Amino acid sequence: MISLSGVSVEYENGVRALNDVSLSIAKGEFAFVVGATGSGKSTLLRLLYREMLPSAGQVMVGGEDVTALKPNEVPFLRRKLGVVFQDYKLLPQKNLWENLAFALRVIGAQPREIRRRIGDALAMVGLTHCCDAFPHQMSGGEQQRAAIARSLVNHPTLLLADEPTGNLDPDTSWEVIQLLDQINVRGATILVATHDSQIVDRMKKRVIQLDSGFVVRDQHKGTYQHSES
Amino acid sequence: MAYASISTIALSLGVLGAFVLLAMGANNFAASQIGKFEIAVFMRGNVNLAQAQALAASIEKMPDVASVNVRSREEEWATFKRSNPNIESAGLQSNPIPFSMVVKVSDASRTTYLANKIRTMDGVHTVNDGRDMLGCVMATARVVRGISIAGVIVLLITAVFIISNAIKLTLYARRREIQIMKLVGATNWFIRIPLVIEGIVFGAVGAFAAWVLLRLGGSYVSRLAERLPMMARFSSGVDPAVLALVLIALGIVIGAAGSFVSIRRFLHD
Repeated sequence: MISLSGVSVEYENGVRALNDVSLSIAKGEFAFVVGATGSGKSTLLRLLYREMLPSAGQVMVGGEDVTALKPNEVPFLRRKLGVVFQDYKLLPQKNLWENLAFALRVIGAQPREIRRRIGDALAMVGLTHCCDAFPHQMSGGEQQRAAIARSLVNHPTLLLADEPTGNLDPDTSWEVIQLLDQINVRGATILVATHDSQIVDRMKKRVIQLDSGFVVRDQHKGTYQHSES
Repeated sequence: MAYASISTIALSLGVLGAFVLLAMGANNFAASQIGKFEIAVFMRGNVNLAQAQALAASIEKMPDVASVNVRSREEEWATFKRSNPNIESAGLQSNPIPFSMVVKVSDASRTTYLANKIRTMDGVHTVNDGRDMLGCVMATARVVRGISIAGVIVLLITAVFIISNAIKLTLYARRREIQIMKLVGATNWFIRIPLVIEGIVFGAVGAFAAWVLLRLGGSYVSRLAERLPMMARFSSGVDPAVLALVLIALGIVIGAAGSFVSIRRFLHD
């Protein structure tokens, strides 16, 4: 599903966010990207949804070389992906239903299709009772589940989550990660950038650790801290 | 933000429109003064009416001559006596005034050339073409026209800059929405079209508001001008419907172009 080979990212100020990163993530896998702030986690995710281009190397997503995409092809890549952020990125003046419908209208979905897909997504994240609520009327956990629901309406094959539990308490964080796990069970590939050690340790999934832009560990059924077991 | 954009467009186009109308008014005023210039031709004393009329006919055939009017010696003499009642008692009994004529030109810039030509004709004594006054008015008209063109260009650039900034601020307030649209896979055109349409609507509404301001200001200026006889001819001569169409077209173009250019920045972030 994802393949990076020899990827480096150097910003204009000379800072190297990623250094010769090569890795691949299979279809249907659930993986965490861990590392300290500034280690390159978010940069890695931004490359995958073509928010930026690498200085060197190749980035493949779903068999497509995203570095070779023309600007007018990028929206069609993003329609196959779901992206979730720490700050939810919901539109404050729209209620939950409208936030989800907005994402579908953008890609030209018909009203009947919009109703059906929103119903499915809200049922999946357990927010059918909050349709009319505005973001400020929802808890942090609900807002993050709403953001996940929005990322699900396009039936993405790959879901990228950048610090999805960064603003949540441990219990709510665990609920959100469980939700991502359910989505993974249904077939989507999940890549979560986080520095939440508790959820990484509890999930026992693949862990890719970055340090100063280098991949320093890639461990199946790993924990947040390196262990030999 | 919509209010800020619309009011910025209204004020910018209002100031620009007011300047254009004032400049056109000044130009028309200068042109109307130039149109008043005519050449006064005085014959020699021995020229009779038939000769004067023959001369008038040959002048009338010259290019750029609009009309020639031979003045009656008797009327001129009567007018002279009215303004100088003691002239007969002073010893001047018979009419000493020669035949004269007034030549109106169709192109004011040819006045001096025509006057020089008439001066060389037989029977002509004196030609008065008001050269100094004409030169002064034409120079003033040229300066007014130059300042008007420069002013309109500067104001137009300023209006485009101000309006483009107002639209940029409107878009900045909606950057989160644009960012989310990009994130969920909206094409650039899908994002751009509604915002450009919004720019067009803002431009048209702002231009209409500018037109209302100009009409109100115009009627006030007209009322003032009625009290000043010399300003009676001070008019831009622009039909209000034409003014509305031009302003709204300008508002639409500026609104659309301003939105289009400003969105590019947000789409390429």
